[in-house]
Amino acid sequence: MEIKNIFSNFKNGLIKSRENLKGKIEQLIKKSKDKEMFLEQLEEMLILSDIGVSATEEIVNYFDKINFKEYSRNDFEYFKDQLKRMLIEMLNHSSNSIEINEDRLNVIMVVGVNGSGKTSAVGKMAFKFKGEDKKILLVPADTFRAAAIKQLDILANGAGVEIIKSTENADPASVVYDGIHAAKARKNNLVIIDTAGRLHNKVNLMNELKKIKKVAKKEAGENASLEILQTIDATMGQNGIFQAKSFHESLGVNGLILTKMDGTAKGGIVVAIKKDLNIPVKLISFGEKLDNLHYFENDKFVNALID
Amino acid sequence: MFSDLSEKFKGIFKRIKNKGKLSENDVKKCLHEIRIALLEADVNYKVVKEFISDLQVKMVDEKISESLSPSQQIIKMVHQEISNTLGSEKSDLTIHYKPPTIIMMVGLQGTGKTTSAVKLANYLNNMGHRSMLVATDIHRPAAIEQLKIFAEKSKLPVFSMGTQEKAVNIVKAALKFIEKKENDVLIIDTAGRLHIDEKLMKELEEINTQISPHETLLVVDSMAGQDAVNSAKVFCERLNVNGIILSKIDGDARGGAALSLRKVLDVPIKFVGTGEKVENIDVFYPDRMASRILGMGDVLTLIEKVESAYNEKEISRMNKMIKTNDFDLNDFYMQIKKIDNIGSMEQIVSMIPGASRLNLNKLNYDGKELKKIEAIIGSMTIEERSNPNIINGSRRKRIAKGSGSQISSVNRLLNQFNQIKNMMKKRKFIKNFPFC
Repeated sequence: MEIKNIFSNFKNGLIKSRENLKGKIEQLIKKSKDKEMFLEQLEEMLILSDIGVSATEEIVNYFDKINFKEYSRNDFEYFKDQLKRMLIEMLNHSSNSIEINEDRLNVIMVVGVNGSGKTSAVGKMAFKFKGEDKKILLVPADTFRAAAIKQLDILANGAGVEIIKSTENADPASVVYDGIHAAKARKNNLVIIDTAGRLHNKVNLMNELKKIKKVAKKEAGENASLEILQTIDATMGQNGIFQAKSFHESLGVNGLILTKMDGTAKGGIVVAIKKDLNIPVKLISFGEKLDNLHYFENDKFVNALID
Repeated sequence: MFSDLSEKFKGIFKRIKNKGKLSENDVKKCLHEIRIALLEADVNYKVVKEFISDLQVKMVDEKISESLSPSQQIIKMVHQEISNTLGSEKSDLTIHYKPPTIIMMVGLQGTGKTTSAVKLANYLNNMGHRSMLVATDIHRPAAIEQLKIFAEKSKLPVFSMGTQEKAVNIVKAALKFIEKKENDVLIIDTAGRLHIDEKLMKELEEINTQISPHETLLVVDSMAGQDAVNSAKVFCERLNVNGIILSKIDGDARGGAALSLRKVLDVPIKFVGTGEKVENIDVFYPDRMASRILGMGDVLTLIEKVESAYNEKEISRMNKMIKTNDFDLNDFYMQIKKIDNIGSMEQIVSMIPGASRLNLNKLNYDGKELKKIEAIIGSMTIEERSNPNIINGSRRKRIAKGSGSQISSVNRLLNQFNQIKNMMKKRKFIKNFPFC
């Protein structure tokens, strides 16, 4: 899917809101008594995008303080820009990128709750980074869910990357151990680990993940990099914050992968997560095809949200 | 961040003087807090709006009761409203008089259709039926294998025809296959799809038109946000969805999507998914869900969790200990270990309504912390453990040295122990629940 189509998806879902918003801002500038209605429309649009109560309040309060009488009808573009700017600001982070240094071993571990799109994301990352000439090895450490290994196997084939053997019910930490040693032997420079989905409130499962990370870190060695990416489903509600918090406390999450953005959900939960935990979104995905994973760009995301 | 509603209400009612009706101002303040609580719980914005306005009418007329505090009364009212909306009657599957009963599972990607299909087959078989599962997910890699492997663990049969045949044809073949067999239930697992994917929605419509399933169950993730209603609406409009399965409620999502769906779609929630094992399916309890949505904690689930961790003998012993305040550091250590099995202390505390009131210092015991505590208690004499009050400065010094920890750690442990002891003294307890 081309970049163009990405935004048509956003637009389709948002045309109604955009028209409301544009209309309301214009009206507002004409007669300030519509302010209440405008703020309500604004609030509705923001809440419906899942950015959460806190971020919404901050933005609505800002606009509440503006005396619209002082502006002419041509200034609605200015307000739209202000809104965009506030959202972009909320998403800003010093390190939005994924550092893959070819002169060392890079390890990416993908974690997240059940059904959030981890395995698909691993397949897509394999495809993407293969296209960037990285020497990739996939590690199917989801040894719990039925046919998870088979699923990743098929994706690895599709992406044309190597994948190590793994068996159902094997100890995931052992699989990771083997995977990293294999990568070193085969001189791969990028290892991507798929893990089993788990709810963040299951203590023993989170402990298992900690153990997997520990093994990965130890076996990869001091010169290697280890990046923990968490998948967040675009349809996710405010519980996403608790998920991210828990995974972050257990492992230290370096970035989010926002998945399933080809639906009608706006994925605003990443704004709430960023605001609360300062974890940036690094990748975004718009569909099930292997080539559908892109680097996240704050301004593009916000533009599509608002425009 | 998700503040305690009852706390908020208490703040509003702290200065209530007049008996009789609630003042308009009180009502306004309460509604504001309820609104935030519902939005934070992921109830759809428009549903919240309607819900609040309905509530407003009711609240203004409400008289202040003699027996309940105003905040308790309001909470009870809101709880009742939500519970009623969620459905006061248990809604079951319709078993068709003429077998087989055909059940189709539908929904977005990753909601738990395949897992739920197997759970349902197992559930129905436990009730005496003979279910056959049908694998029609011809799109996702290894989806058919997933269904087969998971079903096989519970000896449940799966009919499949690979990925080259159309979904509706696979179902037709399955029906023909079971004609001479004893299966009276056919459960169709379908591929996850977006409601805006025309091609895939047509695939489902084809099955609906040509097969006419008796039950079409929409599987919805309990963690879903504001958009849940939008996708569900389309599934309901284009198919004959007559039930919802709310999945992954063993998580801690408040589950506001449940309220949104019920309000907008008028389709009952029939089951909930409570874990990854095949037996983790349960009927839907509206009142429990209402408590959850309000952030009131799921006390009943917690009681169940605690009961499974403790046997009856232990519970009555604990209750006796609390009543007589005969709770020492040995017991403390044992309880921490037990709690570790149920879930982190933080989690449990969050499940207790009004727990934020207790103002406990971060009681989050992980394995490392436990070892530390074990060492500290291990360095105490028997008398010190039974009667921690005698542990003065010099004893603390000795204990710290003996356990290889700082005096501050010893102090902290003793403080926390005292806090818990006090907490137990003050609170009334729920029957059989040792920690309230």
